Amino acid sequence: MSSAGVSLKAGIDAKSKKRIELGYRGQQRIWMIVRMAILTAMVIFALFPVVWIVSASFNPKQSMVSQTLIPQGVENAEQLLRNYNTLLNTPRYPFWRWVANSVFIAAVTSFGTVMLCALSAYSFSRFRFWGRSNLLVFLLLVQVFPNILAVVAIYLILQQIGTHIPFIGLNTAGGLILVYLGGAMGVNIWLMKGFFDTVPRDIDESALVDGANHWQTYWLLIFPLVRPILVVVGILAFVGTFNEFALARVILRDNESWTLMVGLYTNFVSNNFGQNWGIYAAGSVLGSLPTLIIYLLLQDQIVGGLTQGAVKG
Amino acid sequence: MSYKRFAFLVMVVSLLVGVFSTVMAQDVLLIWADDTRTPILEELSAQFEAEFGIPVKVQQLGFGDIRDQLKTAAPAGEGPDIIIGAHDWLGELVSNGLLAPIDLGDMAEKFVPVALSAFTFEGQLYGMPYATENIAFVYNPELVTEVPTTWDEVRALSEQLVAEGKSEYGFVRQEGDPYHFYPIQTAFGGYVFGRDEEGNYNPLDLGVDSEGAIEALAWYRGMVDAGLQPSGVDYDVLHTLFETGKAAMIMTGPWALDRIRTSGVPYEVADFIPAGPAGNGRPFLGVQGFMISAFSTKKDLAEAFLLDFVASEEIEVTVGDVTATPMVLLGKARPSAFLPALEVSDDPDFPAYASAGAEADPMPAIPEMASVWSAWGDAITLVAQGQSTPEEAFKTAGEQIRAAIAGS
Amino acid sequence: MAKRAESPQGDSPSSIITLLLRYGALMLIDALALFLFYRLATDGVWELAVAIVLITLLVNVINLAPNLVPLRWISPSLALLLLMVVYPIIYTVYVSFTNYGDAHPYTKAQTIALILNEQIVGRSYSWAAYVRGEELGVMLIDEDGSLEFVAGNAAPRRVERVDGELPQEVDGYILDDSRGRRLRVVAQGTFGPADDPITVNRNLAIVVNEKTPRYIWDEAANTLTNVETGEVFRADDQRGWFIRADRYEEYLAAVEADPNARLGDFVMKTSQFPLQVGYRVVVGLQNFERFFNSPALRGPLVSIFLWTVTFAFMSVLLTFTVGLLIALLLQAKTPGRRIFRTLLIVPYALPALIAVVTWRGMLNDNFGVFTLWIIRPIEGLLGVDIPSFFADPTMARVGLLLVNLWLGYPYFMLVCSGALAGIPSDMYEAASVDGANWWQQFRSLTLPLLLVSVGPLLIASFTFNFNNFVMVEAYNEGGPPIAGAAFGAGHTDLLINYAFQIAFGTGRGADYGLASTVSIVIFMIVATITVFQKRFTRNWEETGRNV
Repeated sequence: MSSAGVSLKAGIDAKSKKRIELGYRGQQRIWMIVRMAILTAMVIFALFPVVWIVSASFNPKQSMVSQTLIPQGVENAEQLLRNYNTLLNTPRYPFWRWVANSVFIAAVTSFGTVMLCALSAYSFSRFRFWGRSNLLVFLLLVQVFPNILAVVAIYLILQQIGTHIPFIGLNTAGGLILVYLGGAMGVNIWLMKGFFDTVPRDIDESALVDGANHWQTYWLLIFPLVRPILVVVGILAFVGTFNEFALARVILRDNESWTLMVGLYTNFVSNNFGQNWGIYAAGSVLGSLPTLIIYLLLQDQIVGGLTQGAVKG
Repeated sequence: MSYKRFAFLVMVVSLLVGVFSTVMAQDVLLIWADDTRTPILEELSAQFEAEFGIPVKVQQLGFGDIRDQLKTAAPAGEGPDIIIGAHDWLGELVSNGLLAPIDLGDMAEKFVPVALSAFTFEGQLYGMPYATENIAFVYNPELVTEVPTTWDEVRALSEQLVAEGKSEYGFVRQEGDPYHFYPIQTAFGGYVFGRDEEGNYNPLDLGVDSEGAIEALAWYRGMVDAGLQPSGVDYDVLHTLFETGKAAMIMTGPWALDRIRTSGVPYEVADFIPAGPAGNGRPFLGVQGFMISAFSTKKDLAEAFLLDFVASEEIEVTVGDVTATPMVLLGKARPSAFLPALEVSDDPDFPAYASAGAEADPMPAIPEMASVWSAWGDAITLVAQGQSTPEEAFKTAGEQIRAAIAGS
Repeated sequence: MAKRAESPQGDSPSSIITLLLRYGALMLIDALALFLFYRLATDGVWELAVAIVLITLLVNVINLAPNLVPLRWISPSLALLLLMVVYPIIYTVYVSFTNYGDAHPYTKAQTIALILNEQIVGRSYSWAAYVRGEELGVMLIDEDGSLEFVAGNAAPRRVERVDGELPQEVDGYILDDSRGRRLRVVAQGTFGPADDPITVNRNLAIVVNEKTPRYIWDEAANTLTNVETGEVFRADDQRGWFIRADRYEEYLAAVEADPNARLGDFVMKTSQFPLQVGYRVVVGLQNFERFFNSPALRGPLVSIFLWTVTFAFMSVLLTFTVGLLIALLLQAKTPGRRIFRTLLIVPYALPALIAVVTWRGMLNDNFGVFTLWIIRPIEGLLGVDIPSFFADPTMARVGLLLVNLWLGYPYFMLVCSGALAGIPSDMYEAASVDGANWWQQFRSLTLPLLLVSVGPLLIASFTFNFNNFVMVEAYNEGGPPIAGAAFGAGHTDLLINYAFQIAFGTGRGADYGLASTVSIVIFMIVATITVFQKRFTRNWEETGRNV
């Protein structure tokens, strides 16, 4: 059910059924054209730099400024794919290792964020308890702290804990995931709580009356209902983690344990400023694929909305 | 909760405590290097390990990250024994007590003297240099038939080239950072920090607003006013202008040689920087080298590894399809700081770079330099954009820097 | 319903498993925490040890106390948040009261340990390498030319010279003083008996037991004494330096004359290496005083603050409006909306850094496509001169907002899509029955409901952009510069960029103490704004509850 469609239906003060049919169709067509036009304009705005990056990734010249939309001076496939070739076939750039690290870290973080935040959000949304609103403000306020300096403390925590529990120490995926999870709690709990609030309370109250406990109500009833927002938070957490490099750079020290973003950044941006744009672009293009694939797979879940069956059942 | 349940909990807890255990760190010589140096050192390490049975591990970090990570990792006992770095890190690293002095002994005479003095801080040598870098005057010989010897000639030639329509611009300077302005500033007698007899920089003698510096900026303002300087020129734009023949003269370092050569544009590196009233311009000198962590437990071994293995003239390593001594390989992208390696270098442009940088001033390693870069650069930008006069801009910058240094 | 939750035993059978799981997990956590506490306390890392114990206690209380059921659901998130977010914040607050920074990097104990590491070498020799098969031996050559030979675990023994030269062979060990052999000796490092070893470096062989610390630490007098020269250094626990005792008066006079005196220079001039490293001490409110007296505050602070608020507000407004618009458009039945939806998310999938730098290239005055293809034609059309994106203050700000819009709209597009999908469709049906038109529906139904879930994110986005340090640094490093400012700043500098310039550009190296102070001051400002904004949140919550 679409809001615009519904609204159009609603906005028409009908007298003659036939006239309505005609007017409705015509108006709908105009609306559709307007919508298409706006969307197309947005797509151009969105994709223009992307096209540029993709073109840079095929440009053997390593220069962002001088490149043209269609790489010039490229005579053969070898030159066209030179950046990709360098990136994928240089032993000191373990590209696939980086991708694997990134996907692993992002996937675990994203899963953990969704599960933990959903639990908290359910509680904030459904229970009324002492200190609830203060706790909510607290969640928001800790996010406000300019945390550029917190890196020092986080580093020390991981280093000190890591001496005794190596798999969550420095230079490990486990440690980084913990850090990401901690940082992801605040905003995402808020986001999910807001969403849980929009789910009518009579749904779970009737279930509770029927003898289900809170856990069952949550897990069997509410959890499936809020799937769109779970997917949204999951994707947000995945992308955020996948593209993060400031923290990862401090915590992951070794070439082999780097995430994709750290690998690309340190080798092609911070080490040789402006000399490896093409390779960086190639890495970015390849690196954006996991996110796009996941989005493609899950996009129906996001906009799918509440299924009527679940609401009534 | 009942007492019994609590007792049970405590029991299980104490049982579990015994389960966790720690893993001991391996006893290896650890080196931190960046991506271009890592392959060479890895080859070398393999040889070292095969010969002496002492494992050497090379960890690859971003060049700048090496310094930042060392500050946190070394005191925590997670740091390396040896790092690769630049000489201008010395002030920061030494004031944190992070570096151990190095004694080159009889090897000292094999290194470029100015490189050694750059790695000397408060009278102590803290690094074994392997490469030097400085910018030089690079021109397009098809447009520039006679190399201008003074900055006034540079301006005259720029005007002529533009008037004749031979190129869009004559001389173009990279904006944004004053590193590329320093040679002009020194040619006119300006400086950044004064130096004492031993060559140490004196943070209380600031020369950003010295007369010569203002004159240099006035010369540059003249270029801007005559329409000879485009705006928004960063590294990429500068080289694109040069490679497309739109700029006839630039100043750039050996790191750009690859790019210029690939582009196929004809170029020459002048073996001097044009002069002003105070003689030839002097660029900043940057030196890269190996340093030993003060927190290393294997300093003796680290020193021996550097001097007897990395700087050995007998050992050869193969990286890619090149086989040479480590120092020769380390000096591929920049002129080597190791004389035997510099002598065998076959790069056609390194001699010109070395000659242009013969009188170069080491980039100040004192922490006060941190307060100079942005104020100094902003002043030049303001003048380039026509928002300030040279005098006004550099006087303001001088005040800003002095206030910052005097203590905020 | 609360009653039911209070008595888990009365629940259906599945809750017994839940119960077991809960206690099991709790025990595991407790065990881990106890183990960590023990180990960390042994390491002397008390802050973290205590923090972990406190957090664990909290988790236990929440999960065992019967009347805290709602908090049980929150406890995993809370524990993570406390350890990884709150603890670092508290640590930052602590640092703001210290002089932690490049000149004062370690605690007093760590610094003293570093200084006591300095050794005086009692007896040392130059040396030559010998080899027997795979075994190495060392000839110790004393200053007077007398020789001792050491190999294996045996004590060194005297050896005579042969014709004034080193003997070619001792106990089957052959003289081989080549560079490679010497390196092997250094690599082995230690020779002689375990209780009286000799270590060998490139130049010298040193009798370890005759090494003595160069400095003696006297806890009671709070002094370090150099045993070789007799110099005494007094620890100044107020400022964190070791000062030569005979210059202490002079030092105090310097402090007296100017509280901001360059003490580092004084120390550099009057003492030698490890003693030049200061140590970390609590300096009270000194960093706050320094900040509020700094020349930076006489600089363009007001205009930077106003720009920061404008930037954060405009960024949120633009990204939210565009994101919501797209979400609404995509909700309607438009042909190809799957494709649109996918294409429009692409900016989000790309790493922000490469995007920002690409935009920088596209907006460049000479070569940028955006300038050449869009700005120049507009100039031609309107006959005006549009200034450069990197030289003109207004254009620089416009450019920054444009790039930030590009980076940020997919976030709100995603969130709004999810939130719109969550609004039950029967509400629209009810509204349309009431005869509301599209705009009325949007204003009175869609937007309020949307703000229930998205509202807090607007605040979060505002605060994120308020502190969007990286974006500004990557785009133009805060330029173009403001002319004639008392403290260097640029027209697009945000408060946080300016603040870090204050903390790290003072010419005294990185100053974490001051930087933490600045963070806290900024936190106060943003927190005030947030709490103010939160009043709207309460309204949103009420709207949500009424649904």
